[in-house]
Amino acid sequence: MLRSVSKIITPELFTIKKLDASLAVLLTVFALGFVGPTVYTVQPTAVVGPLESPPSSLYPLGTDAYGKDVLAQLMAGIRGSLQIGATAAAIALLIGVLIGLMAGYKGKIIDNLLMMLTDIVLLLPSILLMILVAAYFKWRDPLLVSIIIGVTSWPWVARAVRSQTLSLKNREFVNLSKMAGLSDFQIVIRDILPNIASYIFMAYVLLMSGAMIAETGLSMIGLGTTQGVTLGNILFWAQVLEAVRRGLWWWFIPPGATLVALAASLLMIATALDEYFNPRLRGS
Amino acid sequence: MPTISPFIIYILRKGLFIIATFFAFLLVIFALPRAIPGNPVAALLTQIFQQAQANPDTVKAVYRKFMEEFGLYKPLHEQLFDFLSRLMVGDLGTSIAFYPRKVADLVASYLPWTLGLLIPAILVAWVLGNLLGAWAAYRRRTRVDNALLPVFLVLSQVPYYWLAMILLYTFAVTARIFPVAGAYPPAMQPSLTPAFILAMLHHYTLPFLSIVVVAIGGWAIGMRVLVIYELRSDYVEYSELLGLSDKKILGYVFRNSILPQITGLALSMGTVMGGALITELVFSYPGTGYLLFRALSTLDYPLIQGTFIILVSTLLAANLIVDILYAYIDPRIRVSYVGD
Amino acid sequence: MSEPLLLGLGLRASYFLRLGEVRAVDGVDIEVPRDAVVGLAGESGCGKSTLVNVLLANIRPPLRVKSGKVLLDGVDLLSVSREEVRKKIWGVKVSYVPQSALNALNPTKRIIELVKDAITQHTPATDQEVVSLCKRRLEELNLPTDSIHKYPHELSGGMRQRVIIAISTLLNPRLLIVDEPTSALDVSTQKQVLKMMLDMKRNRIIDSILFVTHELPVLRQVASHVYIMYAGKIVEYGPADSVFFNPLHPYTKALMYSVMTPEPESRERGLVTIPGEPPSLIMPPQGCRFHPRCPYVMDICRRSEPRLVPLGEGRGVACFLHHSEVAG
Repeated sequence: MLRSVSKIITPELFTIKKLDASLAVLLTVFALGFVGPTVYTVQPTAVVGPLESPPSSLYPLGTDAYGKDVLAQLMAGIRGSLQIGATAAAIALLIGVLIGLMAGYKGKIIDNLLMMLTDIVLLLPSILLMILVAAYFKWRDPLLVSIIIGVTSWPWVARAVRSQTLSLKNREFVNLSKMAGLSDFQIVIRDILPNIASYIFMAYVLLMSGAMIAETGLSMIGLGTTQGVTLGNILFWAQVLEAVRRGLWWWFIPPGATLVALAASLLMIATALDEYFNPRLRGS
Repeated sequence: MPTISPFIIYILRKGLFIIATFFAFLLVIFALPRAIPGNPVAALLTQIFQQAQANPDTVKAVYRKFMEEFGLYKPLHEQLFDFLSRLMVGDLGTSIAFYPRKVADLVASYLPWTLGLLIPAILVAWVLGNLLGAWAAYRRRTRVDNALLPVFLVLSQVPYYWLAMILLYTFAVTARIFPVAGAYPPAMQPSLTPAFILAMLHHYTLPFLSIVVVAIGGWAIGMRVLVIYELRSDYVEYSELLGLSDKKILGYVFRNSILPQITGLALSMGTVMGGALITELVFSYPGTGYLLFRALSTLDYPLIQGTFIILVSTLLAANLIVDILYAYIDPRIRVSYVGD
Repeated sequence: MSEPLLLGLGLRASYFLRLGEVRAVDGVDIEVPRDAVVGLAGESGCGKSTLVNVLLANIRPPLRVKSGKVLLDGVDLLSVSREEVRKKIWGVKVSYVPQSALNALNPTKRIIELVKDAITQHTPATDQEVVSLCKRRLEELNLPTDSIHKYPHELSGGMRQRVIIAISTLLNPRLLIVDEPTSALDVSTQKQVLKMMLDMKRNRIIDSILFVTHELPVLRQVASHVYIMYAGKIVEYGPADSVFFNPLHPYTKALMYSVMTPEPESRERGLVTIPGEPPSLIMPPQGCRFHPRCPYVMDICRRSEPRLVPLGEGRGVACFLHHSEVAG
């Protein structure tokens, strides 16, 4: 039976529990990636044991087809993925915020042109663009991969920052600054940016989880970084060397599960922040 | 003065924008190899050329053919003109890895498998995701919503291909319920016999599920928020005070919330396609993802470019269709503003 | 004298929020006689919209009714289930026209579809019967009959407001409750809307109107009785002529003064400019709730709260300035 419409529209408590759980998951993964290697000192790239050994007390997550330790790779992969995620998100954020601010604050022709560009990039699927660009580079270090991900993932940030800027730019305090003779640059820095800071932080968190998933996608198709370990290239080798069909579950489940845990906890944190900063979703 | 209906204007604008986007994309395709230091295409040709020096005439012929197709010795604007005019007649060049097969033919033979996987999966996920999201929103702050929302959130972050690996491992490798690879048994010839169709569906199930299950999460999250916003709109309260039943009002809300999801469908298809291409690899499914992987690992640039051009034009065409559908369904666009 | 059409007795209703209890309606008695236009006036945030919801028995969390009755034909609406109120009261005996006509209609349905969905909930009628009922009513009210086949966005603001009033009253309810029906409209459209409502009353489509507004001049044109509400309480009531001619409560005076000498900007924004802020309804001021803003404040006003005392001739006021008159 349907409930009365009225019951749906009651205010809800800020979902602290959701935030707590996500932070706990996130911290666990971080600890695994950053503190883990100081306790578990096996080299991720060294051949340390028998080939394809299942998890045991000696190799907690088993070994891969080369005899490399999966747990050691996982810990290095977390760092590698986070590094690419953080860098790519910073690049995308920078582009998105700049374009959004310019379009929203300057308006008119600049706005039209920038939004046209944004819509075009938005319409072209970012993962396909990434694959296309990456295909032309034989050697891809983590920075290049971050740049490739960053320059294709900014459009939605630009759109959102633009609409926030539009709603801010006619407020009283902006007009006051204009009358006081501040330059556009000063106004943007002093009046606009601080007011969208919470939003920018949220966008960064979301971009980061998106970038880590994108890195894995690129790696899976063979276009990830050619240097260092990431969660994506652990999965890539597991895929290429038929870990699934040969039943080597310890090789492909942990990196994927770690990626999902990272991405999902970041998303939940962003959602919780959104509920906090955007009371419309919370109820009256 | 004859007036043009806003419906037509809307579609024309969308159509023009999509064409502009397509040309922007072609420009990127054209410019990328040429902008990258040491032009990878030129490097590849040099490599073929070196082999040609030591080899018989066939390789020399191959070299000449690709020099002709890429035209790297010509000025840039002529190269662009050649590139576009060959595209106009549907010539995507010749594959290197599958020489002498034409790129267009190759992609055309792999594309149906991708579309056959993608289109039903996208539509089923869209319908189920929207229904589940609306259900969660109607049951907001109940156990239903509290249980569903985290599931949606986590699902939306699962890469398609990782779920594909899990499903393959669980249901094909361990439980042996489904086949471990391919789109049909290698011993069978594709035909329209019931036996073949059955076998095809058997191979289809896991790839299809791995896309549907993940995509449901994203749609459900979006729909849930849309319905929650919509339930707060003035017309919901007014309709209730006119005495309308909950069922009718929730019907209104569902219909109005799903409109933005149609636009969302257009925008998300690319992401789903990207994920699905990689999912094909996991299942060794003979679609464009598989073809693209072959092309990438052999640096078959004509095939890479051609695959992308076909994929993106398919996407843009799908986008236009969805936009037209949307304009038709939403009366605010379809009906002219001739009030008074 | 005949029994009133609608009678609210001892009404107390609060929003229960995390911040605390917002006492939006805090002990209100209100009466809508038959064949009358009752005005309910006050600043925004004084609880008048909440009072309307209570009178409609439209109670949804976090709003809760703590006490009181709403009697319509002797039946207490607050003790009837929401389902039954929706089926037998709303749109049948009491109709409501919302503040914002712009968003009150489902944007993706033709108006006639909404009307069909509404009417068939109350009476078994075929689609054709609904259409002809609708058309007859629009003709009677001099509205273009083809507007029912349009989408809301195809109608102008004033037309939309009139059509909403027309479709809200198709089943000839006894009482029409309108919440700021004119505040978003320009002056000439306002007049048309007001005239239409009075015509409807004259034609016996409706018996009475409860007109909620923050603009006193509008009430002056139409109301037979007025209630002035401040911070969840009625501070003054009486026949419209008498209250307008001789306002007793300092708040009523301020409300009249502030709108009778309109400042262009504040009129445009629909603001009533009385010095000071309306009080918090979570922690209302001690004593008389108006005392922090009152120019005539006395010691007693800070200490105790004046009751709403009847003065005869249908008038009443809650102010110590006038209580002595009663006592003496």
